[in-house]
Amino acid sequence: VHPLTTESLFLTTSAVLFAIGVGGVLYRRNPISLLMSIEVMLNAANLLIVLGARVHGSATGQAVALIVLVIAAAEAVVGLAIALALFRDRDRADIDEPSEVHG
Amino acid sequence: VQDLFFAATIVAALTIAGALGVVLARRPVHAALALLFHTLGLAGLFLILSSELVAMGQIVIYSGAIVVLFLFVVALLPTGGFEGALGSGRAVAALVMVAILLGTFGAVIGAGAPSATAETDHSVESVGRVLFGPLIVPFELTAPLLLVATVGAVVIWRRQERAR
Repeated sequence: VHPLTTESLFLTTSAVLFAIGVGGVLYRRNPISLLMSIEVMLNAANLLIVLGARVHGSATGQAVALIVLVIAAAEAVVGLAIALALFRDRDRADIDEPSEVHG
Repeated sequence: VQDLFFAATIVAALTIAGALGVVLARRPVHAALALLFHTLGLAGLFLILSSELVAMGQIVIYSGAIVVLFLFVVALLPTGGFEGALGSGRAVAALVMVAILLGTFGAVIGAGAPSATAETDHSVESVGRVLFGPLIVPFELTAPLLLVATVGAVVIWRRQERAR
């Protein structure tokens, strides 16, 4: 018998991944690395949803996880378009630089 | 899933290593490759949770589409997206936040993790029945969402073009 259950292992993995993602958002200045850290946080949440589907014995969680994957793709497209539009005319890719954004 | 505990430990460690690579790699190209590694590891975790359809979706959407998108943008950014010096203040702030989060999550998980009770059908068919049954509205709404996201990305780009 293992001292740890597989469920608690997955819970811990999800928590660590989310914390790493938050740390990345605070630590990096590059918009691309920032968006990738957000993707890591999204993946951590998705892992938790699939684990919930497993624990509660329902297929609904898996279906929700699939929809979340599609929404993550849409989020990446819009986020990267904003990053490109903001930074392609600057000589440095730094999120602290454009402190004012006008429409 | 208890018999897969050993495999799950290894795959989880690799996934976390990938995530650390995403956050710590200095060059965005290396970070994107770490993200590829990380998403493949997550697909492995989904397989261990016997969620084959989500694992396939993870590989196709994340490892296939999103990582390639990131690599394209890295190539388009000025100086390859290389960033300025990261001050020690940032590292301290990030570490404090990570410590707070891990402490909170650890307290919650330590209070008692749930364990699988029901043994159910995790086949692709059962997921499909949910997707085209009770979840039909959100599932169909992902189609206009993707369309709006694509058109929105193009519009953001074109507005910038006119302003020059």
